[in-house]
Order: sequence, then C-alpha cells, then structure tokens
Amino acid sequence: MSGTKTFDEKDLAEIEKLTKKYPEKQAAVLPVLWYAQDKFGHVDPSVQKLVAETMDLPEAHVYGVVTFYTQFYEKPMGKHVLDVCTCLSCQVCGGYDILNYLEDKLGIMAGETTPDGEFSIQSVECLGACGYAPMLQVTNDKYVNYLTYEKIDKLIDDLKSGKQPGFESNKMPQHENGTE
Amino acid sequence: MPNDWKSYKPLLLPAIKDLHEISVYEKNNGYQALRKILKDRAMWSPQNVINEVKTANIRGRGGAGFNAGLKWSFMPEPDGKPRYLACNGDESEPGTFKDRKIFEFNPHLFIEGAIIAAYAMQIDVIYVYIRGEYRPFVKMLQRAIDQAYEKGYLGKKVLGSDFSVEMYTHMGAGAYICGEESSLMESLEGKRGYPRVKPPFPAQRGLWGRPTTINNIETLANVPLVMDKGADWYLKIGPDTHPGPVLYGISGHLKRPGVYEYPAGMNIMTLINEVAGGIREGKKLKALIPGGSSTPPLRADMLEGVSMDANSLRDAGSMMGTAGMVVLDEDTDMVDLIWRISYFYDHESCGQCTPCRDGTGWLEKTLRKIKNGDGELRDLDLLLAICHRMEGRTICALADAAAWPVRYSIDRFRDEFERKCKKTVYAVA
Amino acid sequence: MPEIFIDHKRYEFEQPGKVLQFMLDNGMDLPFFCYHPSLSIPANCRQCIVKAGMPVFDRDRGTFKLDEKGERIIRFFPKLMTACSLDLADGMVVYTHHTDELVKQAQADNLEFILINHPLDCPICDQAGECPLQILTYKYGPEGSRFEHKKVHKPKAIQLGPRVILDAERCINCTRCVRFTDEISKTHQLTIISRGDKNYPMTANDQVFDDPYSLNTVDICPVGALTSADFRFKARVWEMNQTPGIDISNGKGCSTWVWTRDNLVMRITPRFNEAVNDHWMPDSGRLSYRTFNENRISKPWLRPDNKEQVRTTWNNAELTLREELDKVESSQILVIGSPHASVEDNYTFKKYFESLGVTDFYYLPHVVPGAGDDLLLSDDQAPNTLGVRALGYSEIAGDKLPKIVTSAKPKLVFILDDDILDRSDLTSSHLEDAFTVYWGTNHNGTSLAANLVIPITTAVEHAASYINVDGRIQRTVPAKETLYTNRRLNLEMSMGRLDHYGTKFDNWVTDANRIDCIPAWEFITRLNPGSDTFAWESSRQILAEIGGKLNIFRGVTYEQMDEENGIQLNLEQDSEVNTV
Ligand SMILES: Cc1cc2nc3c(=O)[nH]c(=O)nc-3n(C[C@H](O)[C@H](O)[C@H](O)COP(=O)(O)O)c2cc1C
Ligand code: SF4
Ligand code: SF4
Ligand code: SF4
Ligand code: FES
Ligand code: FES
Repeated sequence: MSGTKTFDEKDLAEIEKLTKKYPEKQAAVLPVLWYAQDKFGHVDPSVQKLVAETMDLPEAHVYGVVTFYTQFYEKPMGKHVLDVCTCLSCQVCGGYDILNYLEDKLGIMAGETTPDGEFSIQSVECLGACGYAPMLQVTNDKYVNYLTYEKIDKLIDDLKSGKQPGFESNKMPQHENGTE
Repeated sequence: MPNDWKSYKPLLLPAIKDLHEISVYEKNNGYQALRKILKDRAMWSPQNVINEVKTANIRGRGGAGFNAGLKWSFMPEPDGKPRYLACNGDESEPGTFKDRKIFEFNPHLFIEGAIIAAYAMQIDVIYVYIRGEYRPFVKMLQRAIDQAYEKGYLGKKVLGSDFSVEMYTHMGAGAYICGEESSLMESLEGKRGYPRVKPPFPAQRGLWGRPTTINNIETLANVPLVMDKGADWYLKIGPDTHPGPVLYGISGHLKRPGVYEYPAGMNIMTLINEVAGGIREGKKLKALIPGGSSTPPLRADMLEGVSMDANSLRDAGSMMGTAGMVVLDEDTDMVDLIWRISYFYDHESCGQCTPCRDGTGWLEKTLRKIKNGDGELRDLDLLLAICHRMEGRTICALADAAAWPVRYSIDRFRDEFERKCKKTVYAVA
Repeated sequence: MPEIFIDHKRYEFEQPGKVLQFMLDNGMDLPFFCYHPSLSIPANCRQCIVKAGMPVFDRDRGTFKLDEKGERIIRFFPKLMTACSLDLADGMVVYTHHTDELVKQAQADNLEFILINHPLDCPICDQAGECPLQILTYKYGPEGSRFEHKKVHKPKAIQLGPRVILDAERCINCTRCVRFTDEISKTHQLTIISRGDKNYPMTANDQVFDDPYSLNTVDICPVGALTSADFRFKARVWEMNQTPGIDISNGKGCSTWVWTRDNLVMRITPRFNEAVNDHWMPDSGRLSYRTFNENRISKPWLRPDNKEQVRTTWNNAELTLREELDKVESSQILVIGSPHASVEDNYTFKKYFESLGVTDFYYLPHVVPGAGDDLLLSDDQAPNTLGVRALGYSEIAGDKLPKIVTSAKPKLVFILDDDILDRSDLTSSHLEDAFTVYWGTNHNGTSLAANLVIPITTAVEHAASYINVDGRIQRTVPAKETLYTNRRLNLEMSMGRLDHYGTKFDNWVTDANRIDCIPAWEFITRLNPGSDTFAWESSRQILAEIGGKLNIFRGVTYEQMDEENGIQLNLEQDSEVNTV
C-alpha cells in the first residue's frame, strides 16, 4: 500500500455531484469518505488527507469523523470483512457461537485479519436483521442471515472462490401464503 | 385490542407483488393522496394537512411516540429561506428491523408521505438518513426516488404545481447515536454525531441552523394513508390513544420471527404465540423486551393482558419504543443479556457528556464482573445507583436508554443476578 | 426590569444571557468545566447542573398563579438543567447546591463519574494547585470512589506540537481545546477522536499542533491533560507569584500574568482584557519570558580603549559618561530612542538630552510585514511604537540610518534599548568614530558594539506604560526584584504565598537572579543630582509630568489604567508625526 493516492477526474466529478446535495460542502464528508473507501478499500491517514485536501476541509475534522463512525476502516482490512452481530437478538440466537466458529475456522480472533489478507472478523452491534439472527454482514454490504456452521463453511468457500453473497430478501411471514 | 387481527390486511406493507416499482404503486392507489392535495389547494392548505395529520394522531414510530402532526405544527412560519425534513432511517436500536422493510417493499409509500410532510411544513429539501449498514436498502430507496423524480413527484414544480421539493439519501457509517435526532443533524452536516443541547429544538434551529423536522420512516409512511382515507378512518385502526398500523419487528426465540404488520395495540401474547408461532423448541417464555433494547424488559408473568400500545405498556412498566420485540425463552441468561446491552450502550455512547461517557462504561464493567462470577451483592446496589445518577442528567436520552434495561432487569430478575454474585461476607447495605 | 430568583434571592438582569454567567458575574459559585465565556456552549461536562423552574402564568387573569400561601406556583423543568446553557428568563427560579440536596448530590455524582477514569496523579501533575478538577473535587466532590475496575488507559505524554503535550488519561473531554482551535485561532488543528470513554483530543495523523496560539489550550484545559512543553515540571503553582503585566514582545500588548519564582520569570499567561486580548495571547509572547531571565545586562559595562567590554561600577559609568559629554557639542550628539522602551524611559531620555541642547530625536520602527495576523499579533514587533512617536521622536527607516550617521558625524551616540544594528543597514563600523552608549536590558549586537553599556530594567522590573498598536496605553507592574528593589518594601510588587508564609529557607534567596540594573529615568536622576528638573522618585511622577505637557497623555494615570485595564488614547491630537 504505497504510492500517493489521488482522485482522478471521474472521481472528482463524482465528488462534485455528492457535494451538490448539500448547502455546505462539509456535509458531503461522509459520502466522500464512503466513496474513497470504496475506491481504496480503507480510509487510512493518507486517504483522510486526500479527502481533506479535495474537500478543502481541516484534516483533523476528517480524522475526527473517521474515528467516530465504525464502518470506516482506519487501516487496510482483509479483502472480506465479516461483521458478525453479537448483539441482543443475535446474542440469544447464538451469535457468539457463530463468531467463535468463524474465529476457529479462520484461526484469527475478532478484530484480526488472516495473514493472507483474505479475511477480517469483527464482532459488531445490531445490524437491523434481528429477526433473521444469527447473521453477519460481508464487507459493509450484503447480509447473510440465519447462520449455521454449514452456512458459514459455504460462505467462506464462496468468498474464497470469488463469489459474493447475493441480497437475501426476507419476506414478511405474513405474506408467505402468497402475494395478491 | 383489534378483534379481528386475522383478517387484517396490511396497509403499510400490503402483499402486492413488485410494489416497490412506481408503476405498480401507482396502480394501487399510489401517489393519490399527494395528487388529491395538490389538486385542491384551497381544501388542502399546508395548515389543513397538518391539522388532519394531527387529528389522526400518528404517534412517532422512532421510539418516542410523539404525535407527528403536532410536531409539524412547531415549525415556524416560512421566511423564504431553506427548511428541512430529515427522515430518520438510522434504525440502530437493537431489536429493530422494520424501516428496511419499507425501503425494500414499499418505498414509494414513504416517499409520498415525506413529500406530503414537506408540503405541509413548506419544506424544500428532504434528506433521508439511513444507517451505513443498510447499503443495499439505500440503493433500493435511491432507485425509487429516481423513479419519483422521473414521474414528477419530486423536483421542481411537483405535478405541475408551484410546490417544489428535492429528496436526497444520506448514508451513515456506523453509529447508533446518529438515530438521535440532533446527532442525526450533526452527522448530516458532516460532523461527529454529537447530540445537540436542547433548546433550541430542531424546529427552531435544525440543519444548518434552519427549521427542521425529524420523523421516522415508518411514521412518514403512515401519512399517505391518513391523507388518502382521512383521519377518522385512521383513528379506527387500533386503540384511540395509539392508532394506526404498526410494524412489529419480532425477534428472539421464536418459531417465526420477522416483521409483521398489524394494528397498534395487539395483545402481546397473541403476537408471540399466534402471530410469530410461539417459542422455539417448545420452551417457555421468560421475558420480553417490547420495543428495542432500551425499553425495560418485562417478565413473562407481567405480560398478561398487555398490549402493544403506549398506555398499556406504560402501565405494565415498559415502553412501546420501536415495537422491536425481543422474545426470550426460559434458558436466557438475563445477566449475560443485560451485560451485552450495556456493552452496546458503552460502545455507542458518543462520549460527549460525563454521566453517559463514564457511566455506560462503569455499568458494562460491573455487569461483566457479575457475569464472570466475580460480582458481589453490593454491586447490584451500585448498579442501581449508577443508573440513578445517569438518568436525566445528560444531553440526549442515550444515557437513559442505557440505564433503564439495567435498572429494571435488576428489579425484575434480581434472583438471577444474585445467584451469579459471590456470597459476600460483609453486610449488604 | 426582569428578575430571577437564585437560592431564594432576587436579582435583576438587564441583558439576556445564561444563568451560569450571570451567577459568576454576581459573585456566586457554581462548579463547571466545559463552559468558557468566549467559546460556544456544548454543555457537555454536566457539572453546572441546577434545579430550575418558571412561574405558572394565569392567562385569563394576566398574573402569575399563586398557591394558598400567596407564593408563585413554580413549574420546575422535569430534569436538572445545566446553568451554562440555560437562558435567563423573567421570573425564573433557580436552586443550586446551596439550597437543594438533589443538586448537591448531582454535582457530587458528576464528579464521581469524571474521576472514575481519571488517573489522579496530582503529585506529579503540573495542573495541581490550579486545577479546577482538583479544586471542585475538594469543594463539591464525593467522599470516595466506588469504582473498582481498571481505568480506561489512553496515551500519555504525547507531544502534540512543539509547545503542547497531551496526557489523554487526564482529559475530561470538555472540548475546550478543540473549540479554541475551531472558533478562536481557527486553525482547526484539533479534534476529538474515537467515541465514548475512549475518546480524547488529537491532531490529524501527521499534523503538528503548531498553532501560533496553541498554548491557550493549556490555559483553558480544566485539567492537566494539556501542559506546556516549556513549563512542564518547572515550578509548582503555589511557589510562584502572579503579577499583572503586558506582553512587550509584540505591538498588540496583550494583558498578561507574569509568574515569578525566586526572581525568575517562570511563565507568562494571558490576563483577561476585553479591549485587547480577551482571554488569549500568542505563544510567542509567552515564550518571551526568557528575555527577562537570560542574557541580561547586569552592572554597567565599559570598553576601555576599544578592547573587550568589561564590567564596571555605576560610579565609573557615570564618570565616564560625564567625561564624554564634556568633550562634545550638543550638535555632535545623536540620540536614538526606542519603540521597545516605555513611555517613561523614552520621555526622560529625550528630556535629558533636550536639556543638553540636542534637537533631533530618532527611533527605528520594528515592523515585520506579514508577521501579524487578524487575532493578536501585529506586524509591529515593538510594544511602544505609538508611544515613542507621540513623544516626538522621528521615525527613521533602517536603510536611512547609516546616512544620518555618516552625514552628522556624531561624536557621541546614545541608543535606548533597541538592537538597531540587527535591524538596519547601520554597522558597527559606522559607529567607529563615535563613543556609543547603549542603555539596555539584554546583551545584543548593538550593546556589544557600544563603548559604554548602562543596564536598565525590563517591563517586569519596573512600573511603566506602553502604547499598543491600537493606541491603548497600558502599564506594567514590577514582578521581579532587581538588586535595588525589594518585594516587601515596594508596595507595588505582588506578594506570593511564600512571601507571606514561607520560611527564610524556602524564600527567594538566589541573589544572581536579581539583576544589577535601574530604570533609565533613575539613571538620569543620578546624572543630575540636585536638579529640580530631573528629580523623579517614581515613574508615576513622570507620567503625571508628561500628562501636563502633552495633550495625548492628559489625565492618564496608573490608577485609571489599572482600573480599566488600559486607556484608549486619542492619538489624533498633537499628531505631529515626525518622519525623516
Ligand atoms: C439514542 C437514540 C437513538 C435513536 N435512534 C433512532 C433511530 O434509529 N431511528 C429513529 O427513527 N429514531 C431514533 N431515535 C428517536 C429520534 O431521536 C426521534 O425522536 C425520532 O426520529 C423522531 O421521529 P418520530 O417522531 O417519527 O418517531 C433515537 C433516539 C435516541 C435518544
Ligand atoms: S447522553 Fe451519551 S450519547 Fe447522548 S450526548 Fe451524552 S454522551 Fe453522547
Ligand atoms: S488534572 Fe487535576 S485532578 Fe487530575 S491529576 Fe492533575 S491536578 Fe490532579
Ligand atoms: S484536553 Fe483539556 S481542554 Fe481538551 S478536551 Fe481534554 S480536558 Fe478539555
Ligand atoms: S441483534 Fe443482530 S441484527 Fe439486531
Ligand atoms: S459547564 Fe455547564 S455543562 Fe459544562
């Protein structure tokens, strides 16, 4: 991870668009950080600096923001970040068992990254999927619900072979008897 | 208690295929409420819309249960400068997972509600703040917004009228506190999500110092129903004091957990046993957290005849919150559970004000000690004392939210806590 | 007039404002940390909590509702309120810890919370003795702590910048430092990072906290989290004397506190002056304290026959000076006053040479274009440019100075406290043919080039006035003894704890710290024994004399300056500005 990071023209145009949504450019700092994290995989100090300079904001401000929000990666993470919910409903439905299984399987603890840089595991707070517990989120994107050890095995295999999980739509049980 | 819940047909999330598509939504009476208002501006002046919504008594679905129309009426007279509506889709209170259903299955209902709200409060810009973890749902909503722009429901001169309104999504990035309305505004302004001191209230000084109203997504989704069929019709759904449909997010040890839509005021035992299929593996019910992690847990024996509405739950010793019901079976370790809730609040405290910043950590550490078997009986009284010192002394309600579950579970499950504590040799104060 | 009842006592207020500030203005006590009158109000420490309520108004009758006893019915706010953010309101009722048990308890509770993660290392903490947390804990705190867990650990002794060091564990997260860089210095170099009890203030990753005002954060930090890299571990607060002064390292003339111990200035901090510097001052002014201690000219110096300078006695200096004066005509004397010297010194200096027939008086301005800012630094680096000008000295540019010297060919040159060789095209070779007398405080290039050096007092050793760039005249008070002054005898000097209560062993005993110097005017009186014209006994007298002669100074007294933190002068009158 070396070399100076920059935004190219397309990025700058995109950032300009994000900024236009707000009366003050500072408001775009979260969207722009998201944009930067999508591009670089993290928002480490060099990316924070780039964002600050691009947006003409104090670097300290950007740093303060990055450290407030848990989804921003302050340092490079594994290629796949597995955020296992261990909060409330997931806790009572076995969230910690899932976390432990995953830790054993990947040989790392929550908060760590595998040596090959493939996986990071985190124990996270409620992700708003409590009815589908236990569950996890893959790299700030798709949710994988109703986790079992088998499902974890499959997920890891899929990810290793480059297959991302799809979006799981959780129908309302009320509607399960068919829609009109 | 609505007598015939079995025949209830969902209004917020009706079982209509592809309702998230604007064409399907339009075919099913979608955007008719907005059209009706814009067609007859004499009848539906902004003030009259506010009055209608106020009469309908849509109680805020974000947790506090405040009458939405009444809140709207706090907005000052327009002065030609910008005013904002911030729609709260932060949905981070553990146990809550219902707003995402609206984004996925019926986003236009919410969009229509937000447009009507903007019209009523003469607001020109709407921001929808959605938690960062809901990225797929943000995309869904954005798609629906784009469709609404295309069809002229959003943007300059809505449906050819002189009313213009813009709608933008704004994604959070992992901070529960940003669901608190003033923290949400700080976050929208691109800052650390520090809740603001009130007063001034958002209607006086909100986003960028301008009048702002904050409403929950589900709250706004109720608005087209009211404006379409009238407040009187709406008031007939559920109890008088807490009318309307509610999205019950039911999780925990259940056979059929999930989000269900029924009228407010559903009997809790009905919801658990009939709607959600009862407790898993034939176990017995031990406790219920009725409306998200901050609402005081109720013991199974306290649930007799209690229904999911503000008054009934208050009388039972809890709160409606977000109607995110966490159902706990007999094997649940309450100490573990409450410790984990405390861990959550400690993790999510913004750290701004003293009693919360240091109190949440103190609660967590003390509960962890008890959970690990190192606790002493006097720690229970200490926990209660800490709760007492946190409540009502902070900038926002997170400290209260952190204290309540601890205080009430020690009160209601004291045996269980005591059993985990070491026998102390000295007297307990 | 609107009224408010605090602890059952009625007060009237004219201006809208906040309850805490109103209480402070009226001499009432209430514990607080995060509030600062010149910063925004985050109400985050929650220490200033009070019980407050409003009388219930009877709309129908247009009066306040009364109870059976005829007292107003008060509707209290459902929660305790933070007084710092609570607006004064007509009829408001406030109860503090003096009258309300709950408030008292809440204040103690809050301190208990603050202290659970606080390291409590007062014995090795620079803030001890002037620590609001320490003081308020004594006054309002709980009896003990019930916290039995490991405290949250955070980084310690982080060098945030060249002048400021952070101990994150001591931080109570009041955000004053961050607000200062956001709202006052506007460098935005600090932020709070992380959340909850893990948060603390920081700079961005590789950024250095080099804000030219960074040390103000040390002043306003209510704990020992931010300390001065320079002052760290040097002195304890209770060992020092605190004397009001003004910053003479810049034309702005910020009001200061001069902190001395054993006749050394240990640090300089800002003193509130609404008209000049509010609560702030630049770092450069604080660090100028060294010039009062180091490299001082003590005892006169003489360069016999162009050899090395050697120390000499006052008598010999006087004698030499008289001899040199006897050798020359008044037209052969060149006199250069100083924007760095006080009004009194410049006035007496000029008056003396006028009495000898000298007619032209010069001074070299000390302006560094671009060195100033919009806050508290001016381009003018001298504290008294307007003063020396008002006294009738002519400004001369640095590049013109050699011409004056070469054309006038002075035999005798008098320079008042100013390193003019450093700032002009003048070199020591220009002065080779003249006998140069330097009256100054510190050794420098100019003093080293002189034939005779007269040591004079600095702004912390004499009472004297200076006119800042905005035309405000302010004065200093002696804070540090010279060989000839005595703290106990000089009523003007402040007395510290050790003066009052110390034994002779912990008193101020290091003679080397007392400089052998006198005010310039005093040297002039020595040169003119028995003269009525030069018979001043104090600088106070001199100022009165100036006031009688120059309209600008009419009626200006030390008393008024003390009372009003300086006086704004009308410099338009007598404004014959002389420029060469
Ligand atoms: C700590 C805290 C977290 C909150 N989180 C949410 C949230 O995630 N979603 C939400 O709609 N309201 C949340 N609220 C409530 C909001 O502050 C606000 O009352 C609500 O959005 C108003 O909308 P409503 O009146 O339509 O319910 C939270 C409040 C607190 C104190
Ligand atoms: S109560 Fe907690 S979350 Fe709310 S402002 Fe205070 S520290 Fe932040
Ligand atoms: S900050 Fe104050 S209370 Fe804390 S260690 Fe220093 S002197 Fe003691
Ligand atoms: S370092 Fe000091 S001033 Fe800054 S937040 Fe901490 S306690 Fe307050
Ligand atoms: S508790 Fe895990 S998603 Fe809500
Ligand atoms: S001084 Fe009022 S809350 Fe800090």
